[in-house]
Amino acid sequence: MPGIDECLLEAMRLPGARGAALVDWTSGLALGVVGESPGGDHEAAAVEAAELARLAAEHRAFAPGDGGALGGATALPVEDLILSNRDSYHLLRFVPTPFDSSVFLHVWLARAEGNLALARIRLGEMAGRLVLA
Amino acid sequence: MTVIGTTPPPRLPVRDRSAAHEGAGGLSPMLTRLAAERATGVLVREHGSLHLADGEVVHAESPHAPGFDVLLTTHGTLDATTWQEALAQTGSKSGAVRLVVDRGRLTAGALELCHLGALFDAAYFALAPSSTPGRFRYGGGHQPGTVRPVTVDVMERETLRRRELLRRVWPDPLADSAPLIRVAPAAAPAVTARQSAVLTLVNGVRTATDIARELGRQAFHTLVDVRRLAAAGLVAPQPPPVRVSPPVPAVLSVSDPDITLLKRLRDALEAL
Repeated sequence: MPGIDECLLEAMRLPGARGAALVDWTSGLALGVVGESPGGDHEAAAVEAAELARLAAEHRAFAPGDGGALGGATALPVEDLILSNRDSYHLLRFVPTPFDSSVFLHVWLARAEGNLALARIRLGEMAGRLVLA
Repeated sequence: MTVIGTTPPPRLPVRDRSAAHEGAGGLSPMLTRLAAERATGVLVREHGSLHLADGEVVHAESPHAPGFDVLLTTHGTLDATTWQEALAQTGSKSGAVRLVVDRGRLTAGALELCHLGALFDAAYFALAPSSTPGRFRYGGGHQPGTVRPVTVDVMERETLRRRELLRRVWPDPLADSAPLIRVAPAAAPAVTARQSAVLTLVNGVRTATDIARELGRQAFHTLVDVRRLAAAGLVAPQPPPVRVSPPVPAVLSVSDPDITLLKRLRDALEAL
């Protein structure tokens, strides 16, 4: 069964992967990091990505039509976030946990080699395998 | 030509507070020393304890933060019976948690996530400023349930960052520990789903810690929401009851310089 490090190493096998992290979006804590970090500092990158994730998770405009009310107390209003710039993609995947938490997987991909569609599918599978028995 | 100069007086040994706060060791000189000597044992502080193995933090507990067993059982990730059985069978929390992972009731990832979350959560309170010096008990008292050890350096940096995060949200720390009451502002701002879960439990009696335990949520996460709600004017700490007891005799009153002196004395003793 995979732990945090195995999950991040698996994410690093995605085409074009430069770095991966598991981050708590309430506190900005990086629970695990592998590879390079965008901006050169893993902790700072985690804090900044957490800020973005928190906005997406909390604002009603991004929630599903039922307002996120269906699916129980630990259901997530948002699945993932995609951000692109001139040379890279950032993919943030919220991790559904059976207990109360606020974590997401963050993968940083080089734009030339990265495949966003593939990464999105794989990351969803990894997020599920990380916590669901 | 002779230049007559006087030797400048030696500088008084002043503790450089800014430097102490920037680097590691700003929180507890004792902890920094224990990390340097790769100590194993339990550091007991006023608001919680840190378990060290080879100078790294492997476990933390605080009465202010729900333990990982509470986080796991509240939402039915583990049902309470399974947990109690595992606990009875192994005799320790860490042994029990290993057992449920081995039986496939919990993935390794979920355990790491939950344990690490609870570790940083409890450490935040354990490393809070204290009025009494910490004690360290050497010895391999820790159970073999080490999940993911965290270095003291990372732990202290994260704790300082969390303090700063809370201060930026709402600078008054009173809401962290006092019973909370609901306030109805003229124009109530929208609250998030997680905040509204906190808000419904505010009843004038529960503190942020009580709410965290009830929700099976990390206490620091609850504090973030409580401070946001306080900043939005939706909750406030219960004002202390009006004292009817006779005023405290003046002999017992302490002025700030005394406290500063005592704290410096404590810091100096801890740093020995």
